[in-house]
Amino acid sequence: MIEVLKPGLLMSIQDLGRFGFRHLGVAQSGALDTCAMQLANALLENNKNDAVIEITLGLGKLRFTCNTVIALVGTDMNTQLDDIPIYPGWTYPVKQGQILSFKAAKNGLRGYLAVKGGILCEPVMGSCATDLAAGFGGATGFSLKEGDLIKVKPYDNPWPKRGAILPPKRHVIRIHPSIHADLLTSQTLHSFCATQWYVKPQSNRMGVRLSNENTTLAHSHSLPSLAVSPGSIQLPPNGDPIVLLNDAQTTGGYPLLGTVISADLFHFAQLKPGDTVSFEYVNKQIAEHAQKKIDAHFAQLSIVMNNRGRSLP
Amino acid sequence: MNLDSKVKITAPCSHSLFLDATHLKGCSLSVQKKIWALVERCQASTAFIDVVPAMNSLTVYLVHSDHIRYWQTTLLQWWNTTDIQEHKGTHHKIVTRYGGECGPDLEFIANYHGISASSVIELHMNVTYLVLFLGFQPGFTYLHGLPAELHTPRRSEPRVKVPKGSVAIGADQTSIYPADSPGGWHIIGHTNFSLFDWQNNPPCAIAPGDTLQFISEEALL
Repeated sequence: MIEVLKPGLLMSIQDLGRFGFRHLGVAQSGALDTCAMQLANALLENNKNDAVIEITLGLGKLRFTCNTVIALVGTDMNTQLDDIPIYPGWTYPVKQGQILSFKAAKNGLRGYLAVKGGILCEPVMGSCATDLAAGFGGATGFSLKEGDLIKVKPYDNPWPKRGAILPPKRHVIRIHPSIHADLLTSQTLHSFCATQWYVKPQSNRMGVRLSNENTTLAHSHSLPSLAVSPGSIQLPPNGDPIVLLNDAQTTGGYPLLGTVISADLFHFAQLKPGDTVSFEYVNKQIAEHAQKKIDAHFAQLSIVMNNRGRSLP
Repeated sequence: MNLDSKVKITAPCSHSLFLDATHLKGCSLSVQKKIWALVERCQASTAFIDVVPAMNSLTVYLVHSDHIRYWQTTLLQWWNTTDIQEHKGTHHKIVTRYGGECGPDLEFIANYHGISASSVIELHMNVTYLVLFLGFQPGFTYLHGLPAELHTPRRSEPRVKVPKGSVAIGADQTSIYPADSPGGWHIIGHTNFSLFDWQNNPPCAIAPGDTLQFISEEALL
């Protein structure tokens, strides 16, 4: 078990998300930084969809009631296991009774804690991801609270020290063209890409809200509700774009500026209020190539891992 | 209006397709019925992760992005060869307690339209509503049929918390809040009818094409 001594700003149990229920209004949920989450699982040879703990900002404390191995990937939260510093991107053995404590994130916003064998919880509609708005999934249906006990399978054997790095951060996010180009006009789409956008403090797991006081994309269009999904970029009438993330609603009535390509969406997990981001439209080929590059990165990692595991003394 | 006229199918991203029939004005109910029929056809295929109808549109999320061109063509063919079936949905009776603590905005609606609270209730109950699609939050139904006499602009200041089960009116729509959530609609009553329960299979009792009727709790006595 892992006992939550202090949840900090926000900790929740997430996997790769819930699929196949959007027609009922059920959000995807799931880890926002899928790269960090999958890397953490890969370092422990877990299944790629095994549940992990998503830690936002840090400031929390967890106590292990059994031996295990952990991998913490994502932003550096000045983490310590008792008094040993824990560096993101590496595996560490953990002994029963040890306490993992996080200070505040430095260069990003979210970290992912994977344990050998994954966090154990009953899947709801095919997923262990916590749907924070609707109150189901995860261990309790809610964000982690002080005193929560999270099930993990003890692991007493030695585990090789392993590390891996994440793809570099991108400041220019690649997006698919708008399906509402005619409605929004080329002028609006051009200004959208020519602007450096600031991340607003109201951003959360539902969406990253952007603004720039020198750019106004305000409009008065209202559309019949259409399906939206993580990566959809909405333009509400006030002109401040919203990049929808995993907890976003399934339908919306705002015009869309475009959709973030699947290979770049995870970058939004690490954007803090005040960070800047800009956008460029790309074609389908570039989007596919970018996704293949990420897939190849993970494929390579698992090959290396499998071979190294076997050659260990 | 000829429903076989052109619909647009575009790709919002590399693994989704958006069938847009919103420009076929003047026949939105028939368009929506055709969308339901198309949804059924798509759900029978294993090609899609999610099939999401919305207002006179349909978005499908593909398992394999490589197949997007094929499905762009096929969906268009399907649209042109799908009949509007009279969808045989389930009829649901939503037992509602109107007014008082359960419906704090009932009086506002009555005053806004210059009618009595009991007229509001009667107008609201005397309609069989059609479930167009679900969205926004788990189990939230978009309904067709609110009488024009009850269309009311949303509250200028949304409530931070609208209780689960609230029956409410917002602009030209009425619906039920499936869970506690913030909301800007006027609350006229409350029902114990469960719209979404993750412990049920399926978790949602209501589907697009179903019909729905509000019944006053007192009328049952």
